[in-house]
Amino acid sequence: MGFISQIQDQMLFYQSWIKNYQNIIQMPLRHGPIQTFQNVNKYPWLWHLAKVNRLLTIVTNGRQGNYRRANAAVVEKIVPNLMHILDNLVQNTDRLVLHEDMVPPEILFAMGLKTWMSELLGILMPIVDSHSVEKYIDIAENAGIPPDLCSLPKSTMGIILSKEVPPVKAILTSNSPCDGGMASYQLIKNKLDIPMFQLDVPYNFYNDRAIDYFANELKRMIAWLEIHTPGKMDWDHLRVICEERNKMAAYELELWESLRQRPAPLAAEAIYLSHLWCFNVTPGDPSGTELFKYLVELANDNVQKNIAAVPNEKYRTVLWNPPLLHFIDLFSWAEQQYGLTLIIDSMSYNRQPFIDTSTIDSTLKGLAHIMMTGPMARHTRGPAQNYFNDMFYIYTYFDLDMIFIAGHIGCKNTAALNGILREKCRKKGIPLLIIDYDLSDPRVVSHDGIIQQLDRFMENIMNK
Amino acid sequence: MLSQTNNTFNISPKSLLETAIDNDNIPLGYTCNNVPRMLLNVGKLFPYRVNANGLSGGTELADIYLSQVTCSYIRSILEYAMDDQLAFIQGWIFAAGCDHLRRLYDNLQYNLAPGFCHILDVPHKSGHEAISWFSKELHVLSDAISDHFQTDMNVTNIAHAISAHNAVMQSLQKIANYRKIDPPLFSGTEFHRLMHATWTLPIEFMKPILEDIEKQLPDRSCPIEYKVRLMIVSSVIDQFEWIEAIENNGALVVADRYCTGAIPELEICPQTDDPFYDMASHLLQTNACPRMMDTFDRRLELIFQTVQDYHVDGVIIAPIKFCDIWGVETTQVISFLKEKAIPVLRLERDYCFSGEGQLNTRVQAFIEQLMQ
Repeated sequence: MGFISQIQDQMLFYQSWIKNYQNIIQMPLRHGPIQTFQNVNKYPWLWHLAKVNRLLTIVTNGRQGNYRRANAAVVEKIVPNLMHILDNLVQNTDRLVLHEDMVPPEILFAMGLKTWMSELLGILMPIVDSHSVEKYIDIAENAGIPPDLCSLPKSTMGIILSKEVPPVKAILTSNSPCDGGMASYQLIKNKLDIPMFQLDVPYNFYNDRAIDYFANELKRMIAWLEIHTPGKMDWDHLRVICEERNKMAAYELELWESLRQRPAPLAAEAIYLSHLWCFNVTPGDPSGTELFKYLVELANDNVQKNIAAVPNEKYRTVLWNPPLLHFIDLFSWAEQQYGLTLIIDSMSYNRQPFIDTSTIDSTLKGLAHIMMTGPMARHTRGPAQNYFNDMFYIYTYFDLDMIFIAGHIGCKNTAALNGILREKCRKKGIPLLIIDYDLSDPRVVSHDGIIQQLDRFMENIMNK
Repeated sequence: MLSQTNNTFNISPKSLLETAIDNDNIPLGYTCNNVPRMLLNVGKLFPYRVNANGLSGGTELADIYLSQVTCSYIRSILEYAMDDQLAFIQGWIFAAGCDHLRRLYDNLQYNLAPGFCHILDVPHKSGHEAISWFSKELHVLSDAISDHFQTDMNVTNIAHAISAHNAVMQSLQKIANYRKIDPPLFSGTEFHRLMHATWTLPIEFMKPILEDIEKQLPDRSCPIEYKVRLMIVSSVIDQFEWIEAIENNGALVVADRYCTGAIPELEICPQTDDPFYDMASHLLQTNACPRMMDTFDRRLELIFQTVQDYHVDGVIIAPIKFCDIWGVETTQVISFLKEKAIPVLRLERDYCFSGEGQLNTRVQAFIEQLMQ
């Protein structure tokens, strides 16, 4: 890498860093000093979110050229969006709805409602600061929640039990992705004492009967929201949101196509963090479409110039299950240590069709399909084939060398498939690493413990 | 007090099961109360609630597939099945009741590939739309059973099976009502054995047993001396030894709100001209499992009402370890009972009976608390 490129990369970091801080500082300026002081006092987790620019350091560390640009662009998308979401702490709170991450917000946006994703803090905080949700996990466990429950619902319940949740007026949730997540919402409802609507996703959802049933559930949800909130359904607005989402999805498909190249032009956070944020938190936002368009341009540019995201790419892998929230730097380390490239993860990979916006019914069916086959949901519901078929399809489609399972100790649903998975991988000759760890709590398995598992796999299985 | 030899509660389900199979009855295994027993009770078919009562040792083989963080009921069943101890079951009917049961279905199919293995898609709600959905699911199951076992699953036969089921439930309810009086005429352990037989034998086998018990009841007295009356709230309890261990400490179990108990399992199924809708509504609306999203208040009310009706002094809530839905529910049930000033003990347990010493210590301390 040339000296000028290094200077350019460094400049990119500083420009992005300044831009992000400018966005962060906007929020207290909008709210004023008194309101900001009150907010920080009421919601101590704001201190952790104020460190969101750390994310830039994490995702650009060791990355060069277009790969670095792509990752920085993802953070530049997240930071201003997050600050606007935080405006909901004090503005239009009569329209503020708490929604589960498995219930994407397109319909709420179309109804003119404000959203607060319950799991947002539990997902974002450990990414920014590894130890930041331990306090909330402990609060939930001390209240009697079993320690073996998934740490994401535990941290979400901990925040609710601490009364550090914004002043939401209604709750939307579902029976996805797992029993623990579903069960946690009864406790959340009891603590907040506000109305709640729960969507019922069928066990087997790859059929018309299930799509019809769930589309009707969405209709009932809309009717319920119109009774319990000031929101009114604007079908034209929903169509616009869904069409914008379709555009973003089209760019994403183009991006994935470029990932099939060896070496991959982009990798890791540019692929999964962009999806995680844009499709789950801000779908229908034109700036999301712009981001994906930019990622495609960067990827194509690298393809044309035959530049690898990871210099000396040696191994390509998929990460199954949610990314390691408290240790997302694992893959920048693995890139440098082993030339190991994270091509895609199971949360990002959705073989969902575009939403047909020609009628209200077709739009709702499209959204129904997306929710039922959403990240994690489609693998933890339905028969085991749902889990394995996608995994082995991805392995072939992206020309991978191995499969990594993020074996989150709280995810019993997927742990109960590990035995079958081992045997299937052995038969197919696919190297498999199941990383034992906890999604949000580094006290269960430390970063060093995770690195040791990866080192042993590379030494013993890959002979490196 | 009756001797052990003429105690009609001392049923021997194992030998009766062998007799049933020798008589060409066909056992269909099920693992969750969301499976309609009545529908498995047509012709020579009969529902068998799958248990691993004879399992000795651990679950080493099942742990390889299911991991050690899966519910021990699920692991025990897979272990028992892989050890060929459940080979007499001619067909398996699962309900997508919880994450762990669904993965048992996957692992059983992968490892043993039973000739008949069906999973029901059970909604998490109990309203009309959910009942209609579930009713169609039952139609699909009925057709599959009819095809595989060459059994005539017509509406008349199914309605007859519901009537027969209801008749047994009514007889059991009559007996269960004696638990409300003080002192009851039998122990919780004895009643548990009766319920275990009910869920694992053909319905026609139960009729004479229940008649004998009803005849014998006036001459009976409670077989144990007790200091307090307890209610057990849990999921699946198969081993009567667990109840017996509690009662040996001087606490009589008078109410059993668990999947293999009487409450609310003895509720009568409605009968109209659409038996599929009847079964679907019965299962979804009487269901007390915390996997249901819209029946939380009803579940609490059921527990509270049972405490009142059965004159319960204290409640033991005993979730199986690693069950997420019961784990979160337990916390809330405890808060609810405390608000009502009803003493409660949380006893996390494994499916197979173990740790008797620890159980005794906890129960003795709870009894002391109740006696104060």
